[in-house]
Amino acid sequence: MNDDVQRLPISVTVNGDERVLEVAVHHTLLDVLRDDLALTGSKECCLVGECGACTVILDGRTVDACLVLAVEADGTSLTTIEGLASEGRLSPLQAAFLDHGGVQCGFCIPGQVVSAHALLQDNPHPTRADVDEGIAGNLCRCGCYEQIAEAILRTAEASGR
Amino acid sequence: MRAFSYERPETLADALALLAANGRDARPLVGGTDLIIRLRDGTARPRIVVDLKRIPELRPGIETTTDLLTIGATTAMTDIAAHALVRQRFLALAEAAAVVGSVQIRNRASLGGNICNASPAADTATPLLIYEAVVIVAGPGGTRRIPIRDFFIRSGETALRPEDLALSIELPIPGHRTGSVHLRRTRRRGHDLASVTMSCLVDDRGITRLAFGSVGPRPILVEETTGVLADPGATDGAKAALLETIFSSATPSQGSMRASPEYRLAMLRVLGRRAVAIAIDRLAQP
Amino acid sequence: MNDRVGGSPRRVGGYGRVTGEQEYVADIAAPDALHVKLVTLDCARARIVSIDTTDAERIPGVKFVMTPAHLPTPIPRFGPQFEDRPILAVGETRYHGEPVAAVAAETKDAAESAARLVKVEYEALPAVVTLAAALVDGAPLVQGPEVRPGDPLATTNVLREHRVGWGEPEALEADKADLVIENVYDFPMVTQFAIEPHAFMAAPDGDGIVVWSTIQHPNWLQRVLSRILGLPLSKVRVLSPDPGGAFGGKQHAKYEPLVAMMALRAGRPVRLVLTLEETFQAVRRAAATIRVRTGFHSDGTFVFQDIAADYLIGAYADIADRVVGKGSYPGCGPYRVPAARILARSVLSHTTPSTAFRGFGAPQVNWAVESNIDAGAVALGIDPLELRLRNLARRGDPFIPFDTPADGDWEQAARRAAELIGWGTPLMPGRGRGIAFGIKSGPTTGLSYSTVRLLADGSVVVYAGTSDMGQGARTVLAQIAADELGAPLEWVTVVMGDTAVVPYDQQTSASRSTVLMGNSVLHACREIQARLQSMAARLYGVEESTIVVERGIVRVADLEVPIPDVLVRGLGRLGGELIGIGEMRKEADPEHPLGGSAAFFEFNCTAIEAEVDRETGDIAVIRHVTVSDVGKALNPLQVRMQDDGAAIMGLGHTLMEHYIYDDAGRIRNLGAIDYRIPTSMDLPLELVSDMIENEDGPGPYGSKGMSEGALIPVAAAVAAAVRDATGVVIRDLPLTPERVWAALRDRP
Repeated sequence: MNDDVQRLPISVTVNGDERVLEVAVHHTLLDVLRDDLALTGSKECCLVGECGACTVILDGRTVDACLVLAVEADGTSLTTIEGLASEGRLSPLQAAFLDHGGVQCGFCIPGQVVSAHALLQDNPHPTRADVDEGIAGNLCRCGCYEQIAEAILRTAEASGR
Repeated sequence: MRAFSYERPETLADALALLAANGRDARPLVGGTDLIIRLRDGTARPRIVVDLKRIPELRPGIETTTDLLTIGATTAMTDIAAHALVRQRFLALAEAAAVVGSVQIRNRASLGGNICNASPAADTATPLLIYEAVVIVAGPGGTRRIPIRDFFIRSGETALRPEDLALSIELPIPGHRTGSVHLRRTRRRGHDLASVTMSCLVDDRGITRLAFGSVGPRPILVEETTGVLADPGATDGAKAALLETIFSSATPSQGSMRASPEYRLAMLRVLGRRAVAIAIDRLAQP
Repeated sequence: MNDRVGGSPRRVGGYGRVTGEQEYVADIAAPDALHVKLVTLDCARARIVSIDTTDAERIPGVKFVMTPAHLPTPIPRFGPQFEDRPILAVGETRYHGEPVAAVAAETKDAAESAARLVKVEYEALPAVVTLAAALVDGAPLVQGPEVRPGDPLATTNVLREHRVGWGEPEALEADKADLVIENVYDFPMVTQFAIEPHAFMAAPDGDGIVVWSTIQHPNWLQRVLSRILGLPLSKVRVLSPDPGGAFGGKQHAKYEPLVAMMALRAGRPVRLVLTLEETFQAVRRAAATIRVRTGFHSDGTFVFQDIAADYLIGAYADIADRVVGKGSYPGCGPYRVPAARILARSVLSHTTPSTAFRGFGAPQVNWAVESNIDAGAVALGIDPLELRLRNLARRGDPFIPFDTPADGDWEQAARRAAELIGWGTPLMPGRGRGIAFGIKSGPTTGLSYSTVRLLADGSVVVYAGTSDMGQGARTVLAQIAADELGAPLEWVTVVMGDTAVVPYDQQTSASRSTVLMGNSVLHACREIQARLQSMAARLYGVEESTIVVERGIVRVADLEVPIPDVLVRGLGRLGGELIGIGEMRKEADPEHPLGGSAAFFEFNCTAIEAEVDRETGDIAVIRHVTVSDVGKALNPLQVRMQDDGAAIMGLGHTLMEHYIYDDAGRIRNLGAIDYRIPTSMDLPLELVSDMIENEDGPGPYGSKGMSEGALIPVAAAVAAAVRDATGVVIRDLPLTPERVWAALRDRP
C-alpha cells in the first residue's frame, strides 16, 4: 500500500445499481470494475484502447474502460456485460451470438456484445458496413467477425418485425 | 500505472491556477485516450493530472453563428463527425474525426486533445489547417487567439505554454462555395495511425489549400492561388508540377517503422492528386 | 436433431461467454493472492552483474523479490524438447523480456513499483536477431556449448538439422528437368496474439501444490512441475480453465515453474497476469528463409523438390525445433513428387522463444513451395490449378513414401474451391486470382483417456483432458456423448482442465482432439453401451447377442427402447450409474522420421480474387474461398467458424503482421498499437468457406482433424492473385502496401 496514493470517493451507477466507493485516482475504470467491484466480465488485454475487450457503456456511449480513470466515472451511469442479461435470460443479441456462431474462445465476446448492444441502440437497422465499422474496435483473434456481424444483423432484423 | 494526484477544478480560473502553479508537472486530461496510455507506459509522468471535464467554460459542444462555427476543445470526435453543419461545410474535418481510432476512442477523444498532443500524424490537424481555424487559448494573461497555422511547432509541441488551455476552435464559415476532403494512408483498413494525412480544399475562386501531415515534424499548409490545381480542365502534368513544389517541404522521418520516407513521399503525391480531384468533384456537386 | 452429431447446437459453455460469467485464469477470485511482476531488462542480451532488491523490498506491501539466489542450484530448467529454459535468467539474458527476477506484493501497484526499483547491474551484449547474424562465422552463441554436450553443432547457433527425402539423389540434378525454378522466400516473425494474455496462479495445497494456468497441455505442465518441485504427480494439481484463445502459444510451460516456486516461498497464492506486451515477448511463430528448387517436366509434372529452410527460433527451444521438423516434413505438399530433398534447420537467436502456432511450421514452407509452383506454372504457360491437379496425390497414393497414404479426395476439394472462385472466368481489370493447396500432418503420436458416466436419470458427465480454447471441443465431445447415449445435449456436462479429476490426455494440439479424444469418448460410450446390452438382456430375458445398442437406442428384437428407459429399470432401486473408460492411442514409430506416421492429413485449398491499387500498393481481397477436407463435420457451424478464423489469421501474416526488431534485440512494435491484426474492416469482401465430407477420416463418424489447414495456403494464394493482377512477384511477407508499391515501382 502506497501511503502517498490519493484516493477519492466516487458514486457511479453500475448496471442500474448505485455504487459508492473510494478509488485510487491512478486506477482505471477497468481496474476498479475488475478488482474492486468483482465485475470480471470486462476483460484486460491490450490496455491501449486497441482491442476493445474492456468495452463498457458510459452514459450511453461505449468506451474502453482501460483508458478511463475510475475517478472520471464519478457521477456517470455504466452498463457492463453483466448488465445485459436479466435474471438468467439472455438478451436477444446475446442469444443471437450463440445461435449464429459468434462465439469461440469467448475472451473478446463481452466487449463485442457491449459494442454491438450500443451500436443497435444508436442505429437499430445497421448495414453490414455499419456493423463492421461499429465493432472494428473489438479485436477477435478467433476471427469470428462474419458470424458476429450475422448475429448483429439478425438481431436488428428480428427487432424490426 | 505510477501514482499521481488528480484535480478536477470546477472553474476555468482554478484550472489555470493549477496549471500555472505546476507547470510541466501538470497534465490536462480530457478524453484520456492518449494521456492514459502515456501514463501507463511511463512516457508521461506528471505529478498532477488536471481533469477539465467539470469546467462550465469547457463544456463540449458545437455552436454556430452566420459566419463562424465554434467547436469546444473538449468536444468528442463522435460529435464532430456526426454534426450536420460540420458535415455540410467542413466535410474534411468530419471525415478526419470519423477515422480517429475506433468507435470507443472517438467517443472519448477530444478535438482539443488531438491537436494539443501535436502528433504530426494527428488526423484533425490537416482539416483545421485548410479551413484556417483559430484556436482560442486561455492563459494567465487572459484569452488569446492562435491561428492554426502558427499552432503546431514540432512533434509534441504547440504554441501553447504549459500554463495555457485550449478553450475552443473556431472555423470561419466560407463565404463562397468549397469542396474539401480528408484522406490518409494506414497499414490496414481498420483503425490505425496514419502514415500520411492529407486534407484538401478548393473553392470557387480557384484557390486550393493542401495540408499534409506525418511527413515532417509538424503538419504543413500550402495555399495555391494560380487556379491551376482547382481547374478541372488543367492537365495532369501541370498539376503534378505544382504538387511537386508543394510537397518539396515534406521531410518524413527516417526512423519510423510505420512507413519508409520513400513510401510516404510517394503516397503524398498520390493522396495529393486524389484529394485535389475529389475536392474538385465535391465543389462541382450542387 | 440439431444437438446430435452433424448438427450445430449452441456452443456448450456459450452462456458464460456471452454474459461475462466465464472465468478465465485472471478472473478467478483470489483475494489473498499476492501479485507478481516480472523484472526485465531493456535489451535482449546482457550479462547480469548484480541484482539489488533493497529499494524494491522497502515498498510497502512487497513480500519478497525472487532472484536466482533464491532458487535451487543449479537453477532448474525445463522445456518440452530440451530442458534449456531456466526459471529465471542465469547469468545472462537471452531475449528481450526474459525475467531476471520477480516481485511478489500485496497489490499490483506495489508489485509494479517494486519491479521498477529492482536494481539490475548489467552489461549489454551484442544480440543476434536475424538468420544472417546467427549463422555468420563467429556469431555470438545463444546457448553455450556446455549445455549441448556431445552435439557437433554445439559451437554454432544451429540447434538441429532435419533431413527428409526420397528418390535417387541424381534425380535432383538440374538436367533431369525441363525447367528448374529456384527462389528464396521469407516468412516473418508473427505472434499468436490470443486476446487473453497468459496468466498463471499457484497456491500451496496441503503437502502439494495447485497451479492455475492458461495452458493448453495441463498434463505436460503437471509433469514439468512434478519434476522441478520433486513432488509426485498426485500432489501437483493443474487447473486449466478454458483458455481465451491459444493458437499453439499456450501449449507449453512458460512462467508456471516460477510462479509455483513463489507460491511455495510465500506460503500463499500468487498470481501473474502477463500484459499483452509481455505475452508478445513470451511467444511467437518462427520466421523462416526458404530456398526452393523445383524441377518440372514440360507438361508441368514435378521432377523434384529441393527445399532448404532455415527457421529462426528463439533463445530457448520450447517446442520450436519440433515445429521445424514436423512443419517442413510435408514441405513438398500434397503432390506426387518423384524425388525430394528437404533440409530444415532450427537456428537459435536472442529473440522471443518461438513455439507452436496454428499450422506448426507448415505455413512457412508452404508459402515458399506453393509460390514456386506458381512461378513454374507461369514459366510453363500452364494454368496454376491445372498444373497442381496434374501432380496432386489421389486417394491411396503414398505421396510421402514412408507415411500414411493420401487419405482424402483432395481433387474434389480443389475443384470445389475453383468453382467457388470462378476459376477461369473473366476478371474485372486490375484484378487477379490465385490458388494454393495446403497440407499438414496430423498428430504422429497420441494418448487420450476419458471417462464417461451415465447417471441414473440418463444425464451424462464426460471427463476429458482436452482444452477448449475456442475450437469447440467441449461442444463436439458433448455431442458425441449425447448422440451415443441418447441424452439431450443440455443434460451432458463436460469436465475439463483439472488434473486431479480428469484422466490423462497427452495434449491439445495438431487438430487432434476431435479424432483422438473424440474416439476416446466414443469408446467410453461404447463401453457403457455394452453394459446396457447386458442390462437389456437381463431385463428382457433374451440373449445379449440379439441386442443392439447404438446412437441412443436399445434394440431388442423389434423394440426400440430409449437408453434411459433401460438404464432406470436396469439400475434398480439402488440407482447408481454406468461408467465407461475411453482410451485412444496413436503409437509411436521409432523408425519414422517424425517418430510416428500422420494420424490424418489436413488438406485445404484456398482461392483468392484480389484487386491491387497500383498507386498505393493496397491489396483488396475481393473473394476468399477456403475449402477443407474434414471427413465429417460433427458440427458444421463450428467447422466454418474455425476455417473462417484460420483464413482471417492467414490474411494477418499475409498482409500486415510482423515483429520489427531493433539492433538491441527489442521488439519495436511491442503491443497492439503497432502490431496490427485484422479487424472487422479488414475482411475479404466475401469470405466463402466450404468443406468436403466423405466420412473417410479416422475420427468418430469418419471425421478428421481440421482448423489449421485453412491458414496454411493463404499467403501463397494471395501472392499469386497479386501476381496475376499486376505481374509482380513478391517473395517476402507480409504483402504490405509499401512492399507491393515498391515491387511495382521496381519491376523491370
